[in-house]
Amino acid sequence: MNSDAPIPALSIRDLRAGYPGGGDIVRGITLDQAPESILAVIGPNGSGKSSFVKTLAGLLRTREGSIDVTGKRVSDLSPARRVMSGLAYVPQEANVFRSLTIKENLKLATEFLRGRTGVGSTQEAQVMALFPELGQRHKALAGNLSGGQRQMLAFACALLANPEVLLLDEPTAGLSPKFVGETMEAVVRVRESGVTVLLVEQNVAAAMRIADEVMVLVAGAKRLLTRPSDISNFDLADLFFGKVQ
Amino acid sequence: MLGQVIVNGLVTGLLLALPSLALTIVFGILKFPNFAVGSTLTFGAYGTWVANHLMGMPLIAAAVVGSLVTAGMAILSDKLIFERLRDSGSITLLVASLGLSLVLENICRFSFGNATRDFDIDIARPLRWHGLRINHEQMTTAITVIICVVVVQILLHASPLGRAMRATADNPALAAVRGIERNTISHITWALAAVLLTISGVLAGMDRAIDPLLGWSYQIPVFAAAILGGLGSPIGAVVGALVIGVAEELSTLVLPTNDRQIVSFAVILVLLLVRTQGLFGARAVRK
Repeated sequence: MNSDAPIPALSIRDLRAGYPGGGDIVRGITLDQAPESILAVIGPNGSGKSSFVKTLAGLLRTREGSIDVTGKRVSDLSPARRVMSGLAYVPQEANVFRSLTIKENLKLATEFLRGRTGVGSTQEAQVMALFPELGQRHKALAGNLSGGQRQMLAFACALLANPEVLLLDEPTAGLSPKFVGETMEAVVRVRESGVTVLLVEQNVAAAMRIADEVMVLVAGAKRLLTRPSDISNFDLADLFFGKVQ
Repeated sequence: MLGQVIVNGLVTGLLLALPSLALTIVFGILKFPNFAVGSTLTFGAYGTWVANHLMGMPLIAAAVVGSLVTAGMAILSDKLIFERLRDSGSITLLVASLGLSLVLENICRFSFGNATRDFDIDIARPLRWHGLRINHEQMTTAITVIICVVVVQILLHASPLGRAMRATADNPALAAVRGIERNTISHITWALAAVLLTISGVLAGMDRAIDPLLGWSYQIPVFAAAILGGLGSPIGAVVGALVIGVAEELSTLVLPTNDRQIVSFAVILVLLLVRTQGLFGARAVRK
């Protein structure tokens, strides 16, 4: 690597992971993601996309390899310590505390991050400006929100941690087309606020519209990493089901 | 007569409330029924008795020492046993808690023998009010339990720690990625349960005497109360305890006193047949 090149926001080297007692589900992934970019991870069902992003978040144990966030090794840290190191994660489902109010969800997003740079009232004001509707329903239980509203709350909670890298696991899953558009617009706003986004997404067309790079994941391994504009040179079915090497 | 039975029942219920609360908090956050509640109560009572009777401390100071020792034991148990089994499922954790229960009970038995022990406290005349007889131990129990329940409610609903505990109960994986260390919350949960059980042990020891089976005599009514209230619901545990306490005392009007635990078994049986989520457990089940 050129010594003058910017430090990647997210740097992954030969990452392997799997569930206890099973084989590797994430198999030898290596990539560098530029700061303030959106990397879309696409692939067929069961290709290991969610397991990959859970490994980055620390919910699935790393067996081999390394994960660095802005040059700092995080692969040996607990999920909670990774948040302190600048890595935030929004799961696909169960992404808010349903039995807590919106206000409690937002409070919890920063309460245990004492010492994390940039977490505070200024950051809170910036994040809440991105999601103004949340401020109007502070006392509502998060479990009573619609899928789209829960997704916005989950985004807001993740951003309150002032992350360098935001991991999103299928943020549009189960949303109506209207909310898919709003969610993708929110992802772009997040990137524009200086956050690097790794987006796992089944909705390939929606992901392509906003991504700077696309990684195709098949059977837990990286099959292709390219620009969205270049992916039209490939047949997605071939990419997903194995004819292209 | 009936009024006296109801007063006695409410006090019995308050005595069950703290162990039920401890059981339901551990169940809500750590997701398994902790069968070591009875033996932890006994352990806490003995710890307090050592500080009170052998070291000469006043009972309140001795209870603080007993609570600290029992909380330390509970955290150590979590680190050595339950933390390693956390991902093994609730049945494994339940069996481990049964094992811990036997270990704690026998530590007490081997250390202090089977003879009954009493705290060094003054004996006072009971108060009489409108024909009701209320002794000092009953008043101490009522005041202590009400204070503890209020403190636990404030802790759970108006403090960052309580929010973190409720968040971990709601979704442990999400709590972890919000910066909440699961092991820390687990240790705090064990310690809180241990303190509540020690206080219960002290109140039970004032009400009767301390022996190695002290906690076992509360085990079935405590489970009945927690299940009746809805496992995982702190308020439900307290309400369930009061209902079980009054029902058990009322049963003595028609049953021999020694058979009153039939009420607890009957409550568990009826709930298993008609309302498994208990009185306040609907939200816990939905989660």
